[in-house]
Amino acid sequence: MDALKPYLLNILVFLPIVGTVIMLMYDQIVGKSDETLRRMALFFTLLTFIASLPLIWWTGDPSLIVNVPWIESLGINYHLEVDGLSMWLVLLTTFLMPIAILSGWTAVHDKVREYLAFMLVLETGMIGVFLAMDMILFYLFWEIMLVPMYFLIGVWGGERRIYAAIKFVLYTMVGSLLMLVAIIALYLIHGDHQGGKATFDMMVITKNLAESNFLTPNQQFWMFAAFGLAFAIKVPLFPFHTWLPDAHVEAPTAGSVILAGVLLKMGTYGFMRFNLPMFPEAAHKFAVPIMVLAVIGIIYGALVAMVQPDMKKLIAYSSVSHLGFVMLGMFAFTEMGMQGSLYQMLNHGVSSGALFLVVGMIYERRHTRQISEFGGIATPMPVFSTLFLIIAFSSIGLPLLNGFVGEFLILNGTFNSTYPRAFAALATTGVILSAVYMLWMVQRVVFGEITNEENHHLSDLNFREKCILVPIVLLIIFMGVYPSFFLSRSAEQIKQIRTVVETHKPTTSVATLK
Amino acid sequence: MQPLNINYHYVLPHIIISITGIMTLLFGALNKKSYKDLVFINVTGIFTAGVAAGKLWGIVTDAAKDGKPLTAFRDMVLLDHMSLAFIFIFLVVALLATLGSLSFLEDEDHSPEEFYSLIMFATSGMMLMASAADMVMIFLGLEIASISTYVLAGYRRTDLKSNESALKYFILGSFSTAFLLYGIALLYGATGSTNLETITSAIKSSTNSITHQPMNMAFLYISVAMLLVGFGFKIATAPFQVWTPDVYQGAPSTVTGFMATGPKAAAFVAFLRVFVNVFSGSSSFELHNTWVEVLQVLAILTMIIGNLAALSQTDIKRVLAYSSIAHAGYALIGFLAGDWTSVAFYMLTYSIMNIGAFVVVSVMAGKGDERTDLESWAGMGFKSLGLSMALLVFMLSMAGMPLTGGFMGKFFVFKTAWDKGFHVVVIVAVLNSAASVYYYLRPMVMLFFRESDEKTPTPLLSWGAYITILLALAGTFYLGLMPGKILSLLDAANTAAVSLSR
Repeated sequence: MDALKPYLLNILVFLPIVGTVIMLMYDQIVGKSDETLRRMALFFTLLTFIASLPLIWWTGDPSLIVNVPWIESLGINYHLEVDGLSMWLVLLTTFLMPIAILSGWTAVHDKVREYLAFMLVLETGMIGVFLAMDMILFYLFWEIMLVPMYFLIGVWGGERRIYAAIKFVLYTMVGSLLMLVAIIALYLIHGDHQGGKATFDMMVITKNLAESNFLTPNQQFWMFAAFGLAFAIKVPLFPFHTWLPDAHVEAPTAGSVILAGVLLKMGTYGFMRFNLPMFPEAAHKFAVPIMVLAVIGIIYGALVAMVQPDMKKLIAYSSVSHLGFVMLGMFAFTEMGMQGSLYQMLNHGVSSGALFLVVGMIYERRHTRQISEFGGIATPMPVFSTLFLIIAFSSIGLPLLNGFVGEFLILNGTFNSTYPRAFAALATTGVILSAVYMLWMVQRVVFGEITNEENHHLSDLNFREKCILVPIVLLIIFMGVYPSFFLSRSAEQIKQIRTVVETHKPTTSVATLK
Repeated sequence: MQPLNINYHYVLPHIIISITGIMTLLFGALNKKSYKDLVFINVTGIFTAGVAAGKLWGIVTDAAKDGKPLTAFRDMVLLDHMSLAFIFIFLVVALLATLGSLSFLEDEDHSPEEFYSLIMFATSGMMLMASAADMVMIFLGLEIASISTYVLAGYRRTDLKSNESALKYFILGSFSTAFLLYGIALLYGATGSTNLETITSAIKSSTNSITHQPMNMAFLYISVAMLLVGFGFKIATAPFQVWTPDVYQGAPSTVTGFMATGPKAAAFVAFLRVFVNVFSGSSSFELHNTWVEVLQVLAILTMIIGNLAALSQTDIKRVLAYSSIAHAGYALIGFLAGDWTSVAFYMLTYSIMNIGAFVVVSVMAGKGDERTDLESWAGMGFKSLGLSMALLVFMLSMAGMPLTGGFMGKFFVFKTAWDKGFHVVVIVAVLNSAASVYYYLRPMVMLFFRESDEKTPTPLLSWGAYITILLALAGTFYLGLMPGKILSLLDAANTAAVSLSR
């Protein structure tokens, strides 16, 4: 097995692409059978998932690192590496992909070959973002991933798909191009500081920045802003969230799952990877504004979610609220808060993804997502309703399920931080509100009398659908009862980032703030 | 008496291309409508010229070590890395245009011999512009290139739009050439020479090289302004861009691809030669600052006007026309930084992806360029998947998506300019590229996201277009994925040039 180590990261990045090529070649040569193509796509995503499992034990092993020069005259390297911060996000991606492929098994029946190809390319892009340790390589994957997502929304999406697809791409592009400028500026300044040895390697730059801070406060401020804008749009932090409801609602189920499950995490991951360790002084300056926006997002997202008549839109707005928690915990700069933040990223990926899957399943049966169309479907669909309830509870943060651990850590970490306690107090209302909108939706959809005749004859979950939801529910419970399995493996990395941030704390006493 | 200093071998690529043009013409006169043979002759000529230029690159590198510039024809022509780099770009453009135009000529039954020889003559003119060491030579090269291109624009003789395009191009082109010529005359008045070397030293010492009197600064500044207008017209910077959309729309698509890349790159290299090399230096510092400031504003205007206008276009050729205006703006950023290597690299990537896009358009639009309206493309994407995917790659490359050459070009230009302190321009450019994504993806909306309502004929792909598109795709990905080799060549050339000027 050890012989595999040096190739593992490359395998993870390229396996989906190789799968795409094999799939397309098979289609060219053997002929058209959508069913076979689906099976092939499922096979390759499952294979990627299995290949990613060793990361749980191998992360941090130096023999995993891939680092070869790519464009030498510019100091660009092909550098892949995995650490405690990225390992769980990679695993989340590979875990959700087979599920996403399964979810579109019958829902997507048009242009199946292209659909599957885009999904697999998307997987390569997402894994690449989390593994890339060179800023240009990171930017490459970050941007490339837009293209398949654009097509997934635009071709297989709902009624307003064109508008949503373009909005999604434009929002992301504005942010990421400014990030590119910041990358170039950082590269040049670092190059000057190192006496002409310019590099885009973020490990090297982060290390050198930690050793001697060669950025002026002004430079730090603007770079934090440029990187931060790109990531804030992706998270999305209030008020940059307006693309999210559109994209989530219009995307096909698999697209929504990936959007909510993985793409949003790229924003929060970016904050942890770039903004905090690279520009710690600016991070302190920005902490309060970001926390204010996060709290606004938590409450605003929850309030808007409450009044949505469309289930998918409700879940989309609940994402705004949940991602607010992630940001809040991260910028509390306490170990507990930051760990909770990372944990909540995973939780949200699992729970929101699952909620979108659930909505997709009833949409397939009734071709509507309006809450008012349903009611009392617990009678015809008992298995479905049970699983739905567990997933909803996980999203609310019921103890013993995953959401509770994340929210508890975040709120506790924020409360005990140097920042005003009002943040934690206000954020707590978000937890209550989430119970309100989520339980209210479940109540109106699942329980009560059957008001709509059509709901009498809904069929319960078939085998494929059980295969989709059961693993997720098991994971939800596992994450809820055994969080240290996850937290212990990323604790070291979080501690490192926090140490960097803490050592650059502004000297003025914080006691005045309290 | 001076030695003659002819040095024929320094202009070997130019000679080969000119001879190829003549051979094409003669061969065509003897064998009517022998499309494939003519393509073969042209391609052979281009490759031979490419080999010759490659040999010369080595000679220039050696000469740069000794620190002496290579000139020919009594300092009328000069050979350096910049001219050779651009000559390579012209050869690539000529190759793609030759192969790409085949199907348009064959399908519409145009005579190929004039077409192919005109492409060669235009290329030789552009090559002359790249290696000119004298203002008169720049003018000569420009005229050779322009007149050939005017004819090419009107090649669809019976098509009114094509005629309109040729006429507009001709009138406005002549107009701008007049500006250029007047600028050259005034420059001669101020400095007493048309030779770039002499002008440079005259400006440095602020004395007229003939009378040895202090230079008339008003003449100098007016002439610089005139030259700026003249070159501005040729590369289509705002506010001199108004001719582009109509001309680009009317000309046959593959000719547009040629016009939008080759002559633009040629104007850029002459522009670079005159402004960056001549109008700079120590005592002309103020002059240098003045044109940099003016050009900075022009670059910003060019990008904004090009991109804003492109947003509302409904015809793919007009979209590409405005996009090419915007691209001139991006290339100008490298120009401002005074770094020809970034401009050359940008023009190379731009040329390849732009011709690629125009060839795809010519195939999609069908005979006579009938379907260039984006609405008529609705739902064609999945019918002709390969073609649409190729267009997607070219469009994404123009938008600056990583993995493609367009990204590397922009990245290199932005990096250089940011290093030299042009921060505002870079940020404007970046925001512009974000906005440009909207119109680059709009054809995709039509192709893939719309349902086809009527029976649109599936476009037919001939072998010429097929090879061109494949070559352009390969070039786009090569430049995007492994630009290392070309970049280090340019880098080495740059260091050599620095040592030469010391």
